[in-house]
Amino acid sequence: MAEGDWLDIRGWVEALSFAIADNTVGMSRFWRQKGTTADILTELIMAVVVFGLIMTTMLVLLWIERKFFARIMDRRGATMAMRSLWVGEGGEHVDWYGLLPFGTGAPFRWLNRWLNKVAGSDHEVESVARVRDRSYHGIWWMLPGFFQNIADAVKFLTKEWMVPTKADKFVFEVAPFIIISSTIMLFAFIPLGPHVWSANPDLSLLFLMAIFGIAPLGVFFAGWSSNNKYTLIGGIRSAAQLTAYEIPLLVTVLAVAVLSGSMNIIEIVEFQMDMDGWNLFLLPLGAALFLITMIAEVERIPFDMPEAEAELVEGWWTEYGGLRWGLLFMAEYLRAYAACLLFAIFFLGGWEPFGGNLVAQYTAFIPGIAWLLIKSWLMFAVFVWVRASLHRVRTDQILEFGWRWLLPLSLVNLGIAVWLRLWVWQGEVWSPLVPGIITAIAVALFVLLAIDEDPESLEGRERPYSVHVKAGPAGPGTHKK
Amino acid sequence: MAEMWISMGPQHPMTHGLWTLRVKVDGETVIDTEPDLGYIHRAVEKIAELRDFTKFTTYCDRLCYASANTWSHAYIYAVENLLEVEVPERAEYIRLVAVEIQRIASHLMWLGAYCPDVGNLTAFVWCLREREMMLDLLQELGGSRLHYNFPRVGGVKRDLPIGFAQRCRTKINLFLNRIQEYEAMLDESTVFLVRTQGVGYAKPEEMVNHGVTGPNVRAGGINYDVRWAHPYSVYDEVDWEPSVEKPSIKGADCYDRYRVRVEEMQQSARMVLDALDKMPGGADTHHQHGDEAILAKAPLRAPEGTSGFHHFEDSRGESMFYIVGGGEQRGKFPYRNSIRSPMFITIPYASKCMIGYKVADIPAIMGSFDPCIGETDR
Repeated sequence: MAEGDWLDIRGWVEALSFAIADNTVGMSRFWRQKGTTADILTELIMAVVVFGLIMTTMLVLLWIERKFFARIMDRRGATMAMRSLWVGEGGEHVDWYGLLPFGTGAPFRWLNRWLNKVAGSDHEVESVARVRDRSYHGIWWMLPGFFQNIADAVKFLTKEWMVPTKADKFVFEVAPFIIISSTIMLFAFIPLGPHVWSANPDLSLLFLMAIFGIAPLGVFFAGWSSNNKYTLIGGIRSAAQLTAYEIPLLVTVLAVAVLSGSMNIIEIVEFQMDMDGWNLFLLPLGAALFLITMIAEVERIPFDMPEAEAELVEGWWTEYGGLRWGLLFMAEYLRAYAACLLFAIFFLGGWEPFGGNLVAQYTAFIPGIAWLLIKSWLMFAVFVWVRASLHRVRTDQILEFGWRWLLPLSLVNLGIAVWLRLWVWQGEVWSPLVPGIITAIAVALFVLLAIDEDPESLEGRERPYSVHVKAGPAGPGTHKK
Repeated sequence: MAEMWISMGPQHPMTHGLWTLRVKVDGETVIDTEPDLGYIHRAVEKIAELRDFTKFTTYCDRLCYASANTWSHAYIYAVENLLEVEVPERAEYIRLVAVEIQRIASHLMWLGAYCPDVGNLTAFVWCLREREMMLDLLQELGGSRLHYNFPRVGGVKRDLPIGFAQRCRTKINLFLNRIQEYEAMLDESTVFLVRTQGVGYAKPEEMVNHGVTGPNVRAGGINYDVRWAHPYSVYDEVDWEPSVEKPSIKGADCYDRYRVRVEEMQQSARMVLDALDKMPGGADTHHQHGDEAILAKAPLRAPEGTSGFHHFEDSRGESMFYIVGGGEQRGKFPYRNSIRSPMFITIPYASKCMIGYKVADIPAIMGSFDPCIGETDR
């Protein structure tokens, strides 16, 4: 077993609960229930601790979404919230450091000159310079915009709550309850570190994936009960695409469980740590499949058909407003956070530091939770990257993609996992050759497949991606039956 | 699922303006559509009868908020035809520069609006970034960002500002480089291709029968560009050729309509560079307001019974103005001013194009035709 780190939150909470139970229940005539009381108290406190950790660190996710996305988009306001401190419009900056006494502002002046040199706007044409300014990033380490979400929350709190007149009021109210509660319940089974977890049943993986599948039901409820055609289509789409990605997702997770020989999430992490091999290097195909299906599961671009804002206004949550909309939005991001954490746990070695056992003795002062959170934030940056560079696919396209590609590939991945577990693994640490060879093959395949087709060859050919059209060709009179 | 009518609009992300598209769907398949226009009808043609010729240019700017310069120029050409004014050649070149920069800005606005239609916000902001450069250039010419009121009967409001040519060349060259970014983002993205290729076929012969013009019909392989077919201004002197797509046998799809506009932006950019080089008197000279080199004298009244007509290659198709002079009875006012809007003719055809496709294709198809409701409703 891998050793835990010094941040033994669960141990501390247990000691505290036992002390409390000893001094309260233990002194009374119900002293026999002392142990039970302490256990219940431990679970309660741990649940609150995990919930608080998740909710506070989720601000980082929203910040990544804002800033990284804005950076990719080259968008003006969001990238430069603080930049006027040293690079003003048209190169005129506020010379505040010149006002400091005894020349103490000189370092700032040097910094300003350096920043203007490497990332400034010194083009001779002023408005070209103005356009190029947008690429400048501002002072990223001062986290501009980090606390914007608090302002958003205040706004949601002050909005009126309205229910459409002819909506099914009971179901309309129950649907966000189902979505939000099932989303928060996810984090009960996701360990944040070796000693930071709320519940750890033997089959925690099974529990987790079962709970992940509840929210689409709530989405369908919400779409149906709003009594709106857009929400109805959104809800139906959610139900339709559910089967296309949920089955490949479960088969992929099954492959991870097979390789690690356990349905317990903590044991999956510990298997990766003990055997010196992250699943990313053993099951690269599985990692790709998990990433794709998880993006579909959390309904982000390119798979956000249930809330396709171009044609469905806002999809299934068109009719929600106020705090319920805010909470649903929070649930969206919580699910994305859970997906990132799960990717880090299943494929990136969980709370193992980068470099594994080679650096473990030097990084012992960093608790495991920090590594896990950093990995999950990096994964979220990948999510944002995907969102920024891809378009939205159609419902029929994701169904086709899910059934024709994801499902067979996930079965192949399961076969690889079985082969690795039964024939390659010798019950001890992986030989470095195994992950090495698998990764080399995966990288080679990726490079081969990623090389674009020659666009010249597409000229004059019939459209390669033609869709089947049921009705006849469009034209005058064809719409009349 | 049962068939039902969905009313998309007048406020809906798909509409790009203020109009309603009623769609009959069977599940996710569109089986019938019905456009409903007229939400922002402002009786512009009637307003024209109550203004003298010079005062109506600003209304023409407001016909289309994305492409103001082309509309006011179309009107001015019709008035000059009516009043038989000879325009100085330098003014024609300045007009060409203004109109082609406006065309680039309009197509950038279209491309920017089209990318969110198929689900990508990144290219949207990139397009607006470049459009900002074009608006800066137009602001130097006309003085404001959106509605310039730039042309005058007999010439232009003012000459090219000092240093304009150099700034214009820098920005246009930067823009030509930036087009590669869009192509990397869109043409090389399989997801964009599966959303646009094979979607929204429009047959060339049907488009001609309906009177669809502009980039939409050129995407169908029909080489009809007013600037090329009936050259006005100095379009036969600058170096360019119309961008025409070679469509598949089923017709022009959304991807064709995307490509034709991207290529047209490149053609316009080259045309601007060429016009700056060939400008009579040189692009760096600057004349005062009302100088003979940029503004010819024009009469204020049109004789009885005369009429002026001009058709103009707008960013969205062929726009026409037909003006009948007022004579003694109406004084300086025209008797009638009739406007042909290309989008008013295209939108009904475009809404029939989406029958048989999915609900998700509605914004992809409708957006690819580049609707502008300001000119449609007039």
